[in-house]
Amino acid sequence: MSFAEDSHSAAPGGVQANKLSGARKNAEPGQNAAKRLQTELMQLMTSPAPGVSAFPSADGNLLSWRATIEGPDDTPYSGLTFKLSFEFPSNYPYAPPTVLFRTPIYHPNVDFSGRICLDILKDKWTAAYNIQTVLLSLQSLLGEPNNASPLNGEAAELWDKDPALFKTKVMDRHKDVEDD
Amino acid sequence: MPAAVASQWRDRQRQVFQSVFQTDIAQPTPQPTSSILFSATGQPFDRPAASLADKQQSTQSSRGYRSRGQHAFQSKTLGPSLHTASPPPLPSAAATISDDQAAYDRAWDIVTAHIALPSSATADDAFGSTPTATVTTTGTLAPELQPQQQQQQMTSRRRRGQDRDATTSVSASTFSSPGSGPGSSEFYEAFSLLVNARALLPHATRTDDVLTWHVRRVHAHFAQHVIPLLAGCVDEAGGGGDGEFGDSGGSDGKEEGQQEDQADAQADRHRRTARQERGKGNYYEKHMVIVMTSIRTLEAALRLYFFGMDQLLSGFARLADVAPEAAREAHLANARFRRDLHALISASVPRGLMRSVKAVLERLASTILGIPSRDEVHLGSEQAARPAAPGPDDLKVQAARERLIELVQQLHNVGLTSERFQVLFAEVMDFLMSEFVVGAYASLWTAPDAPPFSTSMDTSSRSAAQSVASPCIASLNDWVENHFARLSFEVLACIANSPQGPLPVTLADLKTYQSLALGRLAALRIRELFDIVLAWPESRPALEDLRATITTAARRKQLTDSFSRDLQTRLLHPGCSTLEILQTYISIIRTLYALDPSKVLLSRVEPGLRLYLCQREDAVRIFLAGLLASSDEVRAAEKAKEAWKRQADTTSSHATAASTVSRLGPRATNLAQLGLLLNKSVSTQGQSRSSRAAPAPSSDDADLDWSDLSWMPDPIDAGANYKRPRRSEDVVGTLISALGSEDVFIKEFASVVAERLLALVDPAQRFEQELRVLELLKRHFGEASLQACDVMIRDVLDDSRKVNAVISGRGGAATAAARRGGRVSTTKTTTTTTAAGGEEDGMEYRARILSRLFWPGLEREHFLLPAVVVEQQQKYEAGYEGLKSRRKLTWLNQMGQARVEIELQDRTVTVDCSPVEATIVYAFQTADDGNLDEDVGAVVQKSVEELYEQLQMDEDLITAALQFWVGKGVLRRIGGANSSTYAVAETLDEEPDPTVTAATTIEPSAADDQPMEEEPAVATVGTNQSMSAKERERREIYWRYIQGMLTNASASMPLAQMAMMMKMLISDGFPWSNEELQDFLGEKVAEGLMEVVGGKYRLVKK
Repeated sequence: MSFAEDSHSAAPGGVQANKLSGARKNAEPGQNAAKRLQTELMQLMTSPAPGVSAFPSADGNLLSWRATIEGPDDTPYSGLTFKLSFEFPSNYPYAPPTVLFRTPIYHPNVDFSGRICLDILKDKWTAAYNIQTVLLSLQSLLGEPNNASPLNGEAAELWDKDPALFKTKVMDRHKDVEDD
Repeated sequence: MPAAVASQWRDRQRQVFQSVFQTDIAQPTPQPTSSILFSATGQPFDRPAASLADKQQSTQSSRGYRSRGQHAFQSKTLGPSLHTASPPPLPSAAATISDDQAAYDRAWDIVTAHIALPSSATADDAFGSTPTATVTTTGTLAPELQPQQQQQQMTSRRRRGQDRDATTSVSASTFSSPGSGPGSSEFYEAFSLLVNARALLPHATRTDDVLTWHVRRVHAHFAQHVIPLLAGCVDEAGGGGDGEFGDSGGSDGKEEGQQEDQADAQADRHRRTARQERGKGNYYEKHMVIVMTSIRTLEAALRLYFFGMDQLLSGFARLADVAPEAAREAHLANARFRRDLHALISASVPRGLMRSVKAVLERLASTILGIPSRDEVHLGSEQAARPAAPGPDDLKVQAARERLIELVQQLHNVGLTSERFQVLFAEVMDFLMSEFVVGAYASLWTAPDAPPFSTSMDTSSRSAAQSVASPCIASLNDWVENHFARLSFEVLACIANSPQGPLPVTLADLKTYQSLALGRLAALRIRELFDIVLAWPESRPALEDLRATITTAARRKQLTDSFSRDLQTRLLHPGCSTLEILQTYISIIRTLYALDPSKVLLSRVEPGLRLYLCQREDAVRIFLAGLLASSDEVRAAEKAKEAWKRQADTTSSHATAASTVSRLGPRATNLAQLGLLLNKSVSTQGQSRSSRAAPAPSSDDADLDWSDLSWMPDPIDAGANYKRPRRSEDVVGTLISALGSEDVFIKEFASVVAERLLALVDPAQRFEQELRVLELLKRHFGEASLQACDVMIRDVLDDSRKVNAVISGRGGAATAAARRGGRVSTTKTTTTTTAAGGEEDGMEYRARILSRLFWPGLEREHFLLPAVVVEQQQKYEAGYEGLKSRRKLTWLNQMGQARVEIELQDRTVTVDCSPVEATIVYAFQTADDGNLDEDVGAVVQKSVEELYEQLQMDEDLITAALQFWVGKGVLRRIGGANSSTYAVAETLDEEPDPTVTAATTIEPSAADDQPMEEEPAVATVGTNQSMSAKERERREIYWRYIQGMLTNASASMPLAQMAMMMKMLISDGFPWSNEELQDFLGEKVAEGLMEVVGGKYRLVKK
């Protein structure tokens, strides 16, 4: 979380911070990662998936992305839009990106600081995944939470017990983040 | 007369004299005093000693007394003032003194009267015109002119030292009598008295030297009368025309005039040029008059002066035995007198006169040197206006030469050939040399009288050619030697003081002249280099000039600098098409290579050109098109060029090379010559390789070619990383390396080749040119990077043909029918299937199988093909899949060609067209399977909307195809210009006849085996379509980028940041400029998809 906030606060125009992060990232052997991310971006643009989109952050750092997921219909999140941040390690795609919800979300597998519990972002990650698949997985996670290993126990309970209350909580929790 | 003051002055005067003229040993030398008075010897009259003279004026008597013969001439340039300052007689006079004095005075009067100068003698022009008469009548003229003379002198009294002149003049009038009979004996007696005054009249204390007196008189006379007269000559002649000569008045203005002379020289020349054009022939004559009257005036004056001198000299001569000292001195003095008089004249000549002299010189010299004067240029034809070395027996030249020599002789006689004249002459010669070089050789590349230079000079024999001077240089050297130097010699010999002196023009001088002329030729050629390039190869001899003259690094630098400047102003601007630039570039490569085989010059000129070509997006495309030009196209281009040349020859070929490159010739549509070049280079390469193989087996290693006898060291101005180029022009190679990066080039080549491969229908086509170019590019870029092109060519050449053969063979002989080269792309590598057209349809169907991954720009355009074709496609597909399993065909319906035969009521039309067009016209066939019932009376008509529904084709394509058919006269638009309904034009009548029934069948026609010509119109349409489709897609992608950016990265962004991110993130590069992006975003804003808030763009929230 702290990292995400860092880069978030840096994004609006903290030149100094941008430079620092850029220098740090570029100093590492991140060229392959950058190239791969560029290709992925092209794929995202040429064959976009409905309801999800992603783009590198405005500071021009390819290893830091922002993404948007629209809540799927027939779920409590229908009609809502969620913002996420992706931070890619320099050895991407051989290590998973760090993905956080920046929009507050009430979800069994997401904690209050936006961290996500999803196996493909952890130990199940393979280089075959890409941003689009991650986003689509997250989108489906919204409709089908993994209640077996919740980060938000209350939400996991309410999901099955009281969908109406769950929906209310979702709406309460949801708040559009105005980036920048 | 206050004697005390006078003696004071006298003493001082003597001190001054003695301090300087220490030869006067009669008296002890007083203490030295400053010699400032004499430092000013060169000054004109009455300047330096003015103040001194003014004071002395009051004390002196009307005559000078001192006898200081040996000093007189040294000091005389101080002017009369100094001498009139002679001391008064000593007061210790006795009776004998007065007697002696009187005798002396009488003798003095006689002598001076005899040689007195009529002060206004030269006022009469006629006086000078009869030289022989004048000498004898000098004496008589004086009394005749007496009143006039007195009057003049009265008016000029303001001049100091005038009084004495007046008295002598008066006395002269009384004493001098016509003839010299009794006068002369009297004169000689008096003269001997004067000369021997010290012995004969010891008591005459107030004595003076008559020589000195004469000199003073002459100077005063010259200043008072001759100079104004000279000015008058100039004024008189020049005053009528304009005010130019009005300012050249008298002696007062002359110093000023001298200084101005040089400053004005340049402006003067221009003014004169302008005037010349107005005045034409008058100009020269006018100046000639000025010069001649001036000369006559001076001659007359000099005769006067020398007459007096001669008289005195003869006096001395008679006394030679009595006073040998004095006689010798007199001779010395005479020489000095003449020399000083000449100096005086040349220093006091009015500016206008020198100008006239210059004009006359220029005119005569230019005639002699064979440079036509400007008025001749206007009168004569243009051809005749070129300067050329005149023949040896040209009468006009001989006349001019005689005239000039005579003139110079005259000028020399009157002392006008001093340094000033020499400078003037040098200026004239310099000017004429430039004139000649520019006039004779500007944009003329073979010597006028030389046989046309053989253009067959092989570059390999350049070392031999180098030693041979080019025709221009040869003729120029000849001109310098036989005309220029000769003229210089003659004129300078004329004005040389002693004929025994060193030759005025030596051989070394001649060499200097020649090198000067060559330098000018080089400067001219450098200025013309751009035109030389444009006129290549006709301009080849000019390059020889350049090569012979560009020998120093400084000149090479001057050449490249000047040429680069020319390039910027004349070529690298938006007014020139890329084609023109490339053509010029080719010429530049060849020209500069011929000029400098080391290519250093080329490399110095190139960067700007390359940089500019990078901005031309179509450069690579045009270049490739040129490379790929077929031999037919090359021939056509050559023919066109020749035709143009002929035409240019007949029309005025003298049109100046304007700043455009229109001289390039016809607007060739491509660089067909490149293809020619390529062919040539391939063949010559083969030859040279085989020929060189024997003597130098390791000839690949150019650096180690020990047997290369024409080896030259690297030019001194080569850069540090200079590498010796291969020994050929290598136009193609240079261009390839100049035209940007490998990637761009290969990409462009692939698309060009794709287009050509698909456009050509002739199955026998072997694509030799393409293959050759491919090989060439492979040499440059390596095999791997051109793999895609290999695959493409193989697709078309081998695989498709094989598959077609197999499938059509299976389906039976496809003899009938229109061909449809539908394009097929498989998802994997390629293979082919041929669906043999059902013979009952009379239709032949062939496919080309393209490997999807290797072909650029394959866009699918969706529309419905006619059922018959679809049927063929399916058959073909089936056959293909039988042949190659696990491959899939994707039909690209919009590509390919179709031959359509349309049977109309009164005619049959056979057209090669694109599938789109074929589909459209097929739709006008009746719906019922092409079997139009002849009883159906209605002409088929359809609107765009109907076609759109029926074919699911893009409306733009429909419209374009309809226009195509309207153009072919097959369809016509019904119901006004705005209607979108078209009908079949069954007859060629304008009037649509509803009763006409016709069979409008679009019947697949029998294909003949003749090679089909590529239909350019179709090709272009196809290209445009696919290009615009590509462009549309690109914009769509960009739009997604922008959406993604504004959705995720930041909700609102300024334009510059967006452009920057696009550039950074799009891997293929983002070719748009900020302005283009702004336009694009502007469209989106107009569509309501975006908005601009506070200078930042953001998406409109739904």
